Amino acid sequence: MHEIVYYAAMVWMAGLLCICIGMVIRTHSAIVRILAFDALTLVIIALLILYSTTTESSYYLDAALMLALVSFVSTIVAARYYSERKVF
Amino acid sequence: MRAYLFDLLVILGALVMTLGVLGLLRMPDVYTKLHGASKSVFLGVMVLAISGIVIGGEASTSRLFLICLALFLTTPVASHVVGRAAFLRHEQMETAGAIDESGSLHHTDESPGWRV
Repeated sequence: MHEIVYYAAMVWMAGLLCICIGMVIRTHSAIVRILAFDALTLVIIALLILYSTTTESSYYLDAALMLALVSFVSTIVAARYYSERKVF
Repeated sequence: MRAYLFDLLVILGALVMTLGVLGLLRMPDVYTKLHGASKSVFLGVMVLAISGIVIGGEASTSRLFLICLALFLTTPVASHVVGRAAFLRHEQMETAGAIDESGSLHHTDESPGWRV
């Protein structure tokens, strides 16, 4: 029964990932695109956490941590460039 | 017992993340999309990380704690920067009954607000 929950949650997260990719591609406003990209990285982090707890290997969590930090920096740089046309 | 708690937390996290992505998809403007993207998806990831802490060993527990800390510190800052960028570029509010109390969103033909 627990395996069913694992795999159903992973398939569900993959569906959410597809929705976020579609929003990044198809939305009209640039700031909504930045926001959807932030949400997309959060969904990828959730997928990595689920996969690492499923396979009981903690190596994917390093990738999730780095992805969290890099997505923070990329969101801030993109939003500041969108608002002020300079980063620093 | 612990595995059932893990299942419950995974289902709760997937549900909260689904609500967040649905809000990101269906809300009318960027200021209301920020609610779904910054609060709900973030809280869903936190619940999934807590589920991993419940069932995992030492190595994954420490790494999940670090992920929780990093997301807890960085997500409010990132969403604030996104909202500030939308405000400075005069993104209009599409929600019915929304009021901008500063009054600066309506002067879209004047000088751009980049220099604030």
